[in-house]
Amino acid sequence: MKRQIPLMIVIILGFLFVGHTFIPHKYSIDFYDWFISWTKAISPFAVALGVMSLWMVHGTKVTRKAPNWQYSLVTLVALVFTAFAGFMWGTNEGTPFMWLFKNVQLPMSATMFSLLAFYISSAAYKAFRARSPEATVLLVAGIIVMLGQVPIGAMISKWIPETATWILNVPNLAAKRGIMTGVGLGMTAVSLKILLGIERTYLGGGD
Amino acid sequence: MKIFAKIQSLDRRYIYIIVALSIIIPLLIPFNSRIDTTKPTEDVYQMIDSFAGKPNKAILMNFSHNASTLAELFPMEVAVLRHCFERDVKVFTLCFMPDTAPLVDYAINTAKEDFPNIKAGVNYCNFGYKPYSLFLPILLGMGENIAEAVEIDSEGRKLENLPIIEGIKNYDDLNLVIDFSASSSVFSWVTYARAKFGANVAAGVTAVMAADNYPYLQSGQLIGMLAGIKGAAEYEKLVDVFATQQREFSKEIIKEEIVPITGDHPIYGDKIPYKFKKARIGMNAQTVAHLMIIIFILLGNIGYFANRKKGGKK
Repeated sequence: MKRQIPLMIVIILGFLFVGHTFIPHKYSIDFYDWFISWTKAISPFAVALGVMSLWMVHGTKVTRKAPNWQYSLVTLVALVFTAFAGFMWGTNEGTPFMWLFKNVQLPMSATMFSLLAFYISSAAYKAFRARSPEATVLLVAGIIVMLGQVPIGAMISKWIPETATWILNVPNLAAKRGIMTGVGLGMTAVSLKILLGIERTYLGGGD
Repeated sequence: MKIFAKIQSLDRRYIYIIVALSIIIPLLIPFNSRIDTTKPTEDVYQMIDSFAGKPNKAILMNFSHNASTLAELFPMEVAVLRHCFERDVKVFTLCFMPDTAPLVDYAINTAKEDFPNIKAGVNYCNFGYKPYSLFLPILLGMGENIAEAVEIDSEGRKLENLPIIEGIKNYDDLNLVIDFSASSSVFSWVTYARAKFGANVAAGVTAVMAADNYPYLQSGQLIGMLAGIKGAAEYEKLVDVFATQQREFSKEIIKEEIVPITGDHPIYGDKIPYKFKKARIGMNAQTVAHLMIIIFILLGNIGYFANRKKGGKK
């Protein structure tokens, strides 16, 4: 029953929503609106579940003094303090919450993402070699696109930005379309398998 | 030929230092460079500008990214908001990620500081954060009735009571959605808002995501795109040249006009606020960084071929 009931819910609702998409009858619209109000009611529980899960995972690590438990403690303190600041003084400009966002969250997130520039440079230097004709084409295309994206490319030659645009508009587009068509077909196949109850891995258990 | 062997085995920390300097120095010491606008950026600008002064037209800015991609996306968000405030275009903002909500406030506050007459609920309205589970219901619901789908703004006020919503019912009126994203969220707007309701959709994306959107751009499913810091810099220039001077867009003018970020500016003199030239300063850093990476690639290949010629390690 633990697997059959969720499976039936997915199959029945799946077909109902397919029907709603193609048959805009009053009953189907009313059912859709009724279902949406349930979705809205469920959302806050998802947030509560997330907070509980975070608390249980990191709380357990702290109480058991698992390796690197100090990071878990920081996570929990940050969770409590940020939530407290938000509930206590609001989230508008000039509040402690906004100060935390601007001075902690913002620079930390930006720093993590900016590390990419260093890894790309290092990887380009160490690994981007013209070892074969295919690698050479990739290397030349990469250099042209990089130059085409900055003003100095146009200063060197007006052909550089034009060639960069051509690379993005023609070979890149052809490859992207192929990939997207494949992904689209794959998604359709998986959706059908879920609707028909053939694909059940989302239920857990692995079969 | 020891030099080539040394090039091949250069410690990566030297590369990190050079990359850091090539980014930091241009940010600290800005210089003027020529920014040529591209069609995808111009198309977004022209579409927004066509709504200028029309109370029954509006745009929606959906923020689908967190603070990590702020360097690329924030300048374009501020530039678009500034364009709307300059040209009296109604603007709505929305986000479905909890850590994006303060980012929306930050962008609005940054842009509106220079516009004392701009008021929430009248000229702009922040729908605020909505849980991601409501993404599709809201996206589809706005095709029928925005006030019913969104219900309340970020301050908890009923949308139907706000002056801004007068004359704005659905995607026929809210006729441009710009998704600022570091992911593939723009596909959902194309798939549902565009395909089902015919809404105009544009994208403001990080440079790394731009390549993914070209198929939609070429097919016309996206009316335009701001790609990375380059797109943001182009948009800043368009706003400087046309919107701040209440001029209509002209291909000839934008082609010829150079807006110096360090010298005289037709509106701000030599004091263009930093926030309004952030992307163009960022472009300087990107220019130098790209050049450094290209030099690294060339050096690496020179070392590789020199070593190979000697019969060394491949």
